[in-house]
Amino acid sequence: MSGKNQVDGRSERDARPGKSLKPGKAKRDKRDKNAAGTSGGPDGRSAPRAAGSANGAYELTAEVLEVDDDGGMSLYEASLHGGWGDGAPVLAATDDRVHALLAATPYPGDHVLGALPPRFGVATVELVAINAALAGVEPQAFSYVLAAVEALLVPEWNAVGLTTTTSSVSPMLIVNGPARDDLRIDYRAGCLGGAAGRGSMTIGRAVALCLRNIGGQRAGETSRTVFGQPARFGLCFGEWEERSPWPSLAERRGFGAADEVVTVHGGKGVFPFADVNNDDPRDLAYAIARTVAFPLNNWFLELTGDSGQIVLLLNPMWARRLGEAFPEAADFQEYIHEHAWQPVDAFRPANAEILAAKGRVDDKGRVALAARPDQFVPVVCGGLGGLHGAALTTFVQSEMQSAMALR
Amino acid sequence: MGSSTTPRPRIRVRLPVARPPADVGAPSFTVDGPLRGRTVGLRHEGSWRSWLLIVDEWQRYLRDDGAEPEVLLAKGRVGDEGERTRKDVASWAGRVDCGVTGLGTCGSCTSNSVSDAVALERLRRPAVVAVCKEFETHARNMASFLGHPSLKVLVLPYPLEGLPAGELRDIASAYYPRFLELLGATR
Repeated sequence: MSGKNQVDGRSERDARPGKSLKPGKAKRDKRDKNAAGTSGGPDGRSAPRAAGSANGAYELTAEVLEVDDDGGMSLYEASLHGGWGDGAPVLAATDDRVHALLAATPYPGDHVLGALPPRFGVATVELVAINAALAGVEPQAFSYVLAAVEALLVPEWNAVGLTTTTSSVSPMLIVNGPARDDLRIDYRAGCLGGAAGRGSMTIGRAVALCLRNIGGQRAGETSRTVFGQPARFGLCFGEWEERSPWPSLAERRGFGAADEVVTVHGGKGVFPFADVNNDDPRDLAYAIARTVAFPLNNWFLELTGDSGQIVLLLNPMWARRLGEAFPEAADFQEYIHEHAWQPVDAFRPANAEILAAKGRVDDKGRVALAARPDQFVPVVCGGLGGLHGAALTTFVQSEMQSAMALR
Repeated sequence: MGSSTTPRPRIRVRLPVARPPADVGAPSFTVDGPLRGRTVGLRHEGSWRSWLLIVDEWQRYLRDDGAEPEVLLAKGRVGDEGERTRKDVASWAGRVDCGVTGLGTCGSCTSNSVSDAVALERLRRPAVVAVCKEFETHARNMASFLGHPSLKVLVLPYPLEGLPAGELRDIASAYYPRFLELLGATR
């Protein structure tokens, strides 16, 4: 089963919470509970209006800092000293630049997106805009930053867990929609790093800065991450929709082909793989399935495998081959799910005993990686070197979320 | 000819940080009496075998002291399982007289343990969160961020995972009195 309205992870109902950035709808949905047992985010949401009209007379409220205008060096040093940078130089969030960003969104500057953990700082549109200004986000790309922050505030994304964990997990942003080229969202060669598209580099970084500056996420302090990962500087890329044999990720999650959509995945890292030995696309799919079911995958830590997703990045050459063998994305997902397992004897006896006690070993002696096909999420992107793929592995206790970027 | 200094040009920028939330300090509670006859909650995530063993041991100790242990498995935080967990925690918190949540021996499990201990405190139940030494600061920070800075923290050695069962039983025995002390319960 596939088609425009197929929803990748679970039901459409589950995919919808992040799709709330609708003009005229200041929704109070599950996000208000995002404080995940906290005293909760602030009330008083304000409704979005037409872009450009919401912030005409808006007065910025954030604290002001004056620094020497010396080519950015004093600003950079202030960001390092104040702990509100990410270690790399930042741009000046002048009032003009912040207002330019605010003019590009239908949301008023004082609109509250939610409370970002770990410190549950209140994420207003103004504060998000300031962080976007630091990262160099263009006004026309600002709505993608807002959409990503909205998406990761959905409780099912589990921002509390993901921002404080010892794991390396980080928000990984996948962009769909017609504006990918205009915004320079990388989806071809080097899309995960190196392509240097302004949209990819600035949107991803802005979201990471929001977690740091609004949420208070600090490695070794509020975040207990052991290693972190490069994506903690920001990771944002697009899907090469035109080269996908299947509806785009956004379409599979219930959005239209013309919608501008950001999907946020809590990814532990980028796990690359390669193949030149399989001529049959089903054999290739089999190899991918067995590869991602590596024994120390987080999914094998769990009592069940029924939450979380793994994103399978397929280069366009592989995508064409796989599309011939699996005309529907759901067929591919089903096949991957069927073959993503380990024999229980791949684990040492004490480990196998624990898996058995958790009920993870089936009557054929197999330990399935995940519970359902829809947890394997194919995304077509990358260059045309047709031997490489990658997986964005899962934290498990996080459901990917999508939100529409409104301009 | 006198010297003149040209003032350096300055720029004004906006700071990107959220203002700290208003100080809130929800109260914590103690049993202030004997343990006997009380229902004591013991919450685990099913992940840490060391904590499962300690929970097993403490159930026995609690029964010996005339209390009734009530164990809660609080595992998933998202999806249907997460919904179940939230309901189970709320229901458990309503049934017990006091309780301990754990184990905080990683980042997210510490956050979750604190969050579930806060669920107890919100119902005015004496609550303790059990964490390993390495995660003590994180636990106290999270409790503060959640508005419960005085949440009681039982600090256990780190690491516990991988220790032989005998050593874990000794730790369970050694830290049980401290657990009761934090609860304010007498034997």
